[in-house]
Amino acid sequence: MKGIKASLLPAALMGTMVIGSGMASSASAQDPYTVGVEASFPPWAYVEGGEFKGIAIDAMEAIAEERGIEIEFQDMPFPSLIPALAAEKIDILATGLTVTEERSENIDFTIPWWETNDVVLVPEDSELNVFTAVCCGARVGVQGGSSQQAWMEENVVNSSDIDVELAKYDNYVTAVDDMAIGRISSVIVDDTSAQEYINAGKPVKMAGKIFIRAPLALAVSKDDPQEILGDLNQGILAIYESGEWGDIVNGYIPGVTIPAIPGHMPNFVDTYQKPVAGLPDLGNE
Amino acid sequence: MDIYDVLLRDFPFLLKGLGVAIVLLAALLLIGFVLGIAICLVQLYGPRTRLVQWPLTLYERVFRGVPIIIMLFIFFYGMSGIFDISAFGAAILAMGLRSAAYQSQIFRSAFQSVPTGQMMAARAMGMSKVKAIRHILFPQAARHAIGPWTNEFSSEIKETSLAYVIGVVELTRQAHYIITSTQGNVLTVFAVVALLYFILNRTGNSLLYSLERKLAVPGFEK
Repeated sequence: MKGIKASLLPAALMGTMVIGSGMASSASAQDPYTVGVEASFPPWAYVEGGEFKGIAIDAMEAIAEERGIEIEFQDMPFPSLIPALAAEKIDILATGLTVTEERSENIDFTIPWWETNDVVLVPEDSELNVFTAVCCGARVGVQGGSSQQAWMEENVVNSSDIDVELAKYDNYVTAVDDMAIGRISSVIVDDTSAQEYINAGKPVKMAGKIFIRAPLALAVSKDDPQEILGDLNQGILAIYESGEWGDIVNGYIPGVTIPAIPGHMPNFVDTYQKPVAGLPDLGNE
Repeated sequence: MDIYDVLLRDFPFLLKGLGVAIVLLAALLLIGFVLGIAICLVQLYGPRTRLVQWPLTLYERVFRGVPIIIMLFIFFYGMSGIFDISAFGAAILAMGLRSAAYQSQIFRSAFQSVPTGQMMAARAMGMSKVKAIRHILFPQAARHAIGPWTNEFSSEIKETSLAYVIGVVELTRQAHYIITSTQGNVLTVFAVVALLYFILNRTGNSLLYSLERKLAVPGFEK
């Protein structure tokens, strides 16, 4: 963390305690930026053989090199990451983070570097196509509480005459396994996960795609106290244009279609208003 | 690579996680021990004014009454406005202060198990309060405290596993890494981790029990 915020009194109190050194997180101007990651979230970030790996890790290192900034990674469980960023315990959040309106009120997003869409998964040997898989009395699997469930309820189940029933599962692995048994006819899941299942050899195929265009981005503390948003935005665009981004992503998810950067920038995010930090030509009017 | 090869390859990282847990445990027990004894002595033999006693009682009630996970969040996020504390420092402080509240009650019951007549007798023989505590009460109370203290030791070992919520990479978090990077194997990995916690717990408790036997006075109190 940057910037010494400690006032003298508590510092002196702490100093008198037995623990002494190692209590304070380092704080000086030359320090590397702390990048918070959720390291149990493959393919975005994970640990293998004691080393951080994943799309977000490699891309963040590439951006740091491109912009000449120093970074260090700090792992935290996902629910702790946004509070840590809001409390300025970490400087940058780099994981598969979806841009939402609620989040944009507490943290600032970089330009989107990924876009997820939902796909309709059907069994590999199925005759169903994108129309028949989700109509006419079909039972469709989703993860309970997921954005896919919300989308299906809002746009299909409650607002149209299409006759489908949603089956809600704890997680998508169970849903996909249940589809193999035949209890449901299709599963709606985000395309990144779908590609993972196919690459892992599960007997499924994509019948079609729903373009919801949910952006994923990096994030910094609200109002960018470290003034790094511009560097990150320029870095993201630079590694995309040099092709490095594509190589990194394909290394982790072979065969995936890479969304263009900058992608869809929702209006509700204030850092997407023109001019965007570091990239003054971009932004919503 | 099957899960056993992965476990074998990553075993040093599990041990590293165990090391972090042990350092955390030692630090929090030390804080708890020093503060706990101090609180207990003031509660039993200190000034009886409310000004001194009430804050101690309040501290003890609050720290025994709030879940440790909440304390971890408060110390890590809540204190960041005053003091830029690291995750490890926050974990040591939150858990150490909580352990102090528990340990103060362990020591209080141990000191109270020594008959009150002994203090009176020591004072009657001209010993100061401090001397009486040091030479008469403490040696007896220490023996009584070891049994309940093994409980505190065991429960604190297990609670170190909660420190991962604020980003301390200890044994449980290292296990998560293996589980997520291999996309499964929950049972196998956590079985190994459970065994590591169990060995640490048994070793610590065995040492404490042997200390208890060593300090026992033959033919007395048993």
